[in-house]
Amino acid sequence: MSWSKNISINTWRCGRLMSMYPQHYVDPIYKMEDQCSKRTELLRLSHIPIKGALNNSSDTIFNGEIKQKMVNYITKNGEGFLSRKLMAQTLEMIKRTQLEGSYISPGYNKTETDAESLLIQAVENCRPLLQLSSIKRGGVKYHVPIPLTNKKSYFLAMKWLLDASREKDRKVSLPEKLAWEILDAAHGHGRVIKKKEELSRQCESNRAYAHYRWS
Amino acid sequence: MRIPGALYAARGRAPQNEKEVPFQEILPLRLKNTVSGKADSGSDVACLQEMGVLFACLKDNEFVEKYCDKEISRFQKCYKVYMDRKFEAKKTVNQGIVQPGSNLNYKQLNKYMRRFPNPQ
Repeated sequence: MSWSKNISINTWRCGRLMSMYPQHYVDPIYKMEDQCSKRTELLRLSHIPIKGALNNSSDTIFNGEIKQKMVNYITKNGEGFLSRKLMAQTLEMIKRTQLEGSYISPGYNKTETDAESLLIQAVENCRPLLQLSSIKRGGVKYHVPIPLTNKKSYFLAMKWLLDASREKDRKVSLPEKLAWEILDAAHGHGRVIKKKEELSRQCESNRAYAHYRWS
Repeated sequence: MRIPGALYAARGRAPQNEKEVPFQEILPLRLKNTVSGKADSGSDVACLQEMGVLFACLKDNEFVEKYCDKEISRFQKCYKVYMDRKFEAKKTVNQGIVQPGSNLNYKQLNKYMRRFPNPQ
C-alpha cells in the first residue's frame, strides 16, 4: 500500500517515471585506446560530471561493437542470454566451415578463419548507400532516393542479414542460416547483397525525383 | 420604351449600405507579434550533383560498388558535411543570442518583437 502511494507521489512530482541524466552529463570513455588517444580531452573532462558506463560496455577483446549490436537485434522478448548463445553458435559455425575449407584446400592459404572479422566484413558489404522514401506530391506518391546516415546504414545491413536468415525451414536453426548468410555476404554474393543491389537499382531509376526531398 | 440592359451595366453595381452591412473584424487587423519558424527550416535537398555522379558511375559499372569508391566517399562526405552544418545551425538558433543586423533567424526575430509588440 505504502509502495503504491510512493509511486503515485513520485509520478505527480516529476511527471514521468523514467530517470534521465541532465543534459550537461558526458558519455563515458570506457575503451583504453580511446583514453590513451584522447589525453587532452580527458583533462577537460576531469571537472565535468560523467554518466555511468552501461552494463555491457566493458573493454575486453571479446567485445565487438558490431557483434554486440547484432546480439541486440537478435534478441526477442528480452531474452539476451539466448541471443548471446545464438551469436556464439553462429560464430562457431562460421569458424568450423572456414576451417574445413582451409583443410580441404591447404594450398589455398587465403581462407579467412576469423569469424568476427568475417561478420564485420559481411555487414560492411551489406551497407546500403541510399534509401527510398515515399513522398506525396500532387496526389501521387513518388519514391525518392535519400542519403543515409552511417548509423542507419549499419542498422539496415544487420536487419537485412537477420531477416534473410529468419526466412527458413523450421528444421534449420537460426545460427546455421545466419552463418550461411554472413559467409555469403562476406564474399560478396548471396541474398542480402542482391537486395542491396536491387535497392540501388531502384534508387537509380527514381533519380529524377531526387529533388523532391524535404525534411 | 424599353431601356437596354447595357445602360444599367455601365453604372455598375451600387455599393452596399454600411449601416445595413456593418464591417466585421474576423481576424485582427494588425500583425502578429510572432513569426513562425517554417521558412528557416529550408529544404533538405543537398548533394544532388554528387548523387548524380554516383548514379552515373554505378550504372556504368553494373552496380558493383568497389569500382566507384571515389564517388561513394565523395557523396558520403558531402552528406556528412551538410548534416554537420545543419546541426551547428540548429545549435546557434537554439542559443537565441540576438545580435544587431538584418540577417536574423526566427527565434531572434521573436525575441525582438516580444520587446516591441504591436499596440493593442
